[in-house]
Amino acid sequence: MKPLKAVGLNPKTKEKIITTLIVLPPLMSIFFFFYGFSGWNFFISLTDWEGFLPTQNLVGFKNYLALFHDSLFWTSLQNNLLLILIFVPGVILIGLILAVLLDQKVRGEALFRTIYLLPFALSFVVTAALWAWMYSPRVGTINVLLEQLGLGFLKSGWITDPSIVMYCIIAALIWQFAGYSTIIFLAGIRSIPGSQIAAAKVDGASTFTLYTRIVLPQLKASFVTAFIIFMCFALKAFDFIWVLNRGGPGYSSHILGVSMYKETFGFDKFAYGAAYATIILVLSLVIVVPFLCRVYRRE
Amino acid sequence: MRISKPSRVMLYSLLVLFACLTLLPFWSCVVTALKTSKEVVLTTPVTPPLHPTLAPLMESLSYLRRPLLNSLVLVGSGTVVSCFFGSILGYVFSKRKVRGSTLLFVLVILGLYIPPQVQLIPMVRVISKIGLHGDLGALVLLYMVFGIPMCTFIFKTLYDEIPDSFIRAAKVDGAGTWTIYRRIILPLSVIPFVVAALLQVTIIWNDFIWGLVLTTGIRNLPVTVAMANLKGSFVAEWNLQMGGALWIALPTLIIFVFLGKYIMRGYGAK
Repeated sequence: MKPLKAVGLNPKTKEKIITTLIVLPPLMSIFFFFYGFSGWNFFISLTDWEGFLPTQNLVGFKNYLALFHDSLFWTSLQNNLLLILIFVPGVILIGLILAVLLDQKVRGEALFRTIYLLPFALSFVVTAALWAWMYSPRVGTINVLLEQLGLGFLKSGWITDPSIVMYCIIAALIWQFAGYSTIIFLAGIRSIPGSQIAAAKVDGASTFTLYTRIVLPQLKASFVTAFIIFMCFALKAFDFIWVLNRGGPGYSSHILGVSMYKETFGFDKFAYGAAYATIILVLSLVIVVPFLCRVYRRE
Repeated sequence: MRISKPSRVMLYSLLVLFACLTLLPFWSCVVTALKTSKEVVLTTPVTPPLHPTLAPLMESLSYLRRPLLNSLVLVGSGTVVSCFFGSILGYVFSKRKVRGSTLLFVLVILGLYIPPQVQLIPMVRVISKIGLHGDLGALVLLYMVFGIPMCTFIFKTLYDEIPDSFIRAAKVDGAGTWTIYRRIILPLSVIPFVVAALLQVTIIWNDFIWGLVLTTGIRNLPVTVAMANLKGSFVAEWNLQMGGALWIALPTLIIFVFLGKYIMRGYGAK
């Protein structure tokens, strides 16, 4: 630090300069990677760039117009909405139920919690392999079990059946995230002051009233957290479906993330893929920005 | 407790039922990975193997050996670098607030919610410009930056729990920003480092889309991408697929079983 001293800076200024020098490189790389790239992606979506060709011309919003006339886009959006409408409430509801059950002074609570959380530890590639085996039509776990239980009439083609493939995917994703959702709600329940619950009990409240009147209204923060996390996941989801069946059969389980990947890296339509990505980004921001604003407005 | 005996029976039955549903895919994975191809065909996916064999596990391991090493490299470099920067940024955002630093922090956190799809295409361009396309080095670089917002968030949240009075005392003694960091904050950082590191290890180990887009050739693939290829190449050989899945699942399962308490602090639940 001698050179700085030589210039005659006072220690405070010197410290400020050092802090800036330490903090700037990681901050700059984050901003370049997250915001620079988002902007660049938007710019690419306004061009006609294809693959690794050097030529690209600005074409305005042509890609977006093409998107709105593309039936694959509407199929993907529809499937994505289905995913959001069933997966998000489903995983929240199951997490809430399990959290309330675990809150009943259960023996072995830690063991149950750990078991429920296990699927959340896995890569989507692993879960896709596990569920491909579960859903395999001929020899897979579910069909074999159904037959053994005398429920053979419920056997189905599962992920090979275009009319139910999305529901199969949603069920597997709920399986993967239910434990995480449980932990979020359990933490919320445990943060409610014990005195309130004790007071309600003294007043003779039943377990049911206790939860509907005292506990649930105070879980708002947990609901919001879970909603944001699972919504954002549902919007950008890709890995599980891609490894499971590449969005098939046909286009029946294409969601936005899958179509974006396929247009970009399958058909080299980079600018078109960038338009898909921008739409995913905008939908995510619409959900997250109001949330972050509310959380940090006070500070 | 007000809950009556019959409802306690109900309660435990429900909990056990959910536990069984959770464990079923794991169970059929493990038993299938221990069977020969012939036994997979002859028995059901839930019956334990009559003649357990390690052959499928060994075969899938030989297929995944190089990718497992690659993923170890990615996890090691990515975790160390993003934890280091996360700790510094977390400290500055928590204890050295200046005007506008909350806004800056929120912008860093917002990075967590930006879908990877918008970064894929620009990243591919940058990586091919610097001549790393298809190379493992591209992923090494990526994961060094990718984890910083998450780490910053964890360190900031946990540093907020350190009372400001600790620091005020040191300030009175004339300690500067970075002396305080080294002497006071770092020694109190064991838990934040454990939480952030476990989280980064899990996230990088499990990540898929970046490896899929940025790397080619078995020498460069991370283990998840190699596993997806294995799944595509050995479609009917369920024992191999389950063996491969097991190898990838093992490290993160161990983390969640034995250190779950720490990792869930990182996911925002105490």
